[in-house]
Amino acid sequence: MKLKVTNLSKNFGKLEVLRSVSFEVFEGESIALLGPSGCGKTTILRIVANLEHETMGYVERNFSKLAYVFQEPRLIPWKTVRENLWFVVENDEKIREVLNVLRLRGFEEYKPSKLSGGMRQRVNLARAFLVEPDLILMDEPFSSLDLQTKLSIIQDVNKRREEIGFSMVLVTHDIREAMLLADRIILLTDKPCVVCKEYDVTNVPKDIFEPRFTKLERLILADITNLL
Amino acid sequence: MRKNYLAGIFLLLGLWLIVSLLVGSELILPSPIKVFNTLAVLLKDPRTYQAILSTITKISVVLTATLVTGVALGFAIGLNDKLYQLFRPATLVIQAVPIITWLALVMFAFGIGWLGPVVVSVLSLFPHVLLTTAVGIRSTDVKLKEMATIYRVPKRKIIRDVYLGSVLPQMVAALQVVVGNVWKVVVVAEYMCGDRGIGVMIAWARQSVAVDKVYAYTAVTVVMGLIVENVVNKYTRTLLKDWEVV
Repeated sequence: MKLKVTNLSKNFGKLEVLRSVSFEVFEGESIALLGPSGCGKTTILRIVANLEHETMGYVERNFSKLAYVFQEPRLIPWKTVRENLWFVVENDEKIREVLNVLRLRGFEEYKPSKLSGGMRQRVNLARAFLVEPDLILMDEPFSSLDLQTKLSIIQDVNKRREEIGFSMVLVTHDIREAMLLADRIILLTDKPCVVCKEYDVTNVPKDIFEPRFTKLERLILADITNLL
Repeated sequence: MRKNYLAGIFLLLGLWLIVSLLVGSELILPSPIKVFNTLAVLLKDPRTYQAILSTITKISVVLTATLVTGVALGFAIGLNDKLYQLFRPATLVIQAVPIITWLALVMFAFGIGWLGPVVVSVLSLFPHVLLTTAVGIRSTDVKLKEMATIYRVPKRKIIRDVYLGSVLPQMVAALQVVVGNVWKVVVVAEYMCGDRGIGVMIAWARQSVAVDKVYAYTAVTVVMGLIVENVVNKYTRTLLKDWEVV
């Protein structure tokens, strides 16, 4: 098991954000934490990444290399794409490889301000792939992208996961995104954030036009509607 | 742009001429013609160049000492919250002390000479560089720091690649303020406790009631100050543009 979160609770002052959230991520597995905006999904990732401390509960971290794909790319503005990648791993060969994988060749000497939102997000992903992590945390990385770019990057992520086999925790409010990237979806509610339901997506084709895909999508949508 | 700049200079000289004519006393405001004639005479005197060289040497020492120690200590206290809280009151006090107090203290400590103006100038300018750098370091984007922590980037690399870039605009602003003020501060300090330099020449001119000489030396100071300021501004603008922080 790569990650085990047990009865995780988090309060910010008097505000209860997480209440007894539990889940685990197995070796090579990808899970999606699906919930409304502001429900505390990012807080879970931040606790896993040790950027926040839990109020109660326990996080068992069995990964050695962690990568975090932030919602906003967090690139160093005064550094080029290559320099941003060099900042985390000083290896030109590996940098060239991830640039190829994420179709960023030719943009090595561009600074982030000269790139589109989609390209910046690809660099964000490239940085995550570059460290060869065994667990990647993804915090709504596609929320600001158009559908075409989003689908293209999702394809790249899935392909890379097939090749490398890293585990992944994705937080999102987008059902399709969750279904396309995850093996398992954990539905969360807000105020405070608790785990509601789990869906196994392993046998559902990663194709938005597939009947099994749309059927499960509708089921999740119905569950979310019932929670309102 | 260049035309407007030149027109501005001629406007200033014209206004100076008119006001000097209206005042009608060379003891208060000599005409620009008189001042430039005096300046031409002074520029033939080797003592003027010795004075300018002495002032430039002091300015170089002051700038180096202020920027090196200010930036280094600014980084140190900016990176450490406890150090920042510890040093901030003392720095603010040093910054608030009037220059005249430093002059008095320095005259008691070092007497008239070369060291006094340098120490006074450093004490006047150093707190600004220190605090600006420290504040810049403290305002470094938390998101970039978090990213570096997640990816286990070594501290020295974070300082070089993240903090330095973040603090660059503040450091440039501090540099511009220091460069803009260093001439004034050094010349005043020389006037009060120096043994040579433009400030001392102004003091001698005042004692002999040579008002035109006071204005001529002042013109030298202003022109040299503006040249240095322009060079620094031009260079720093390019630097900031290269770093994409403007």
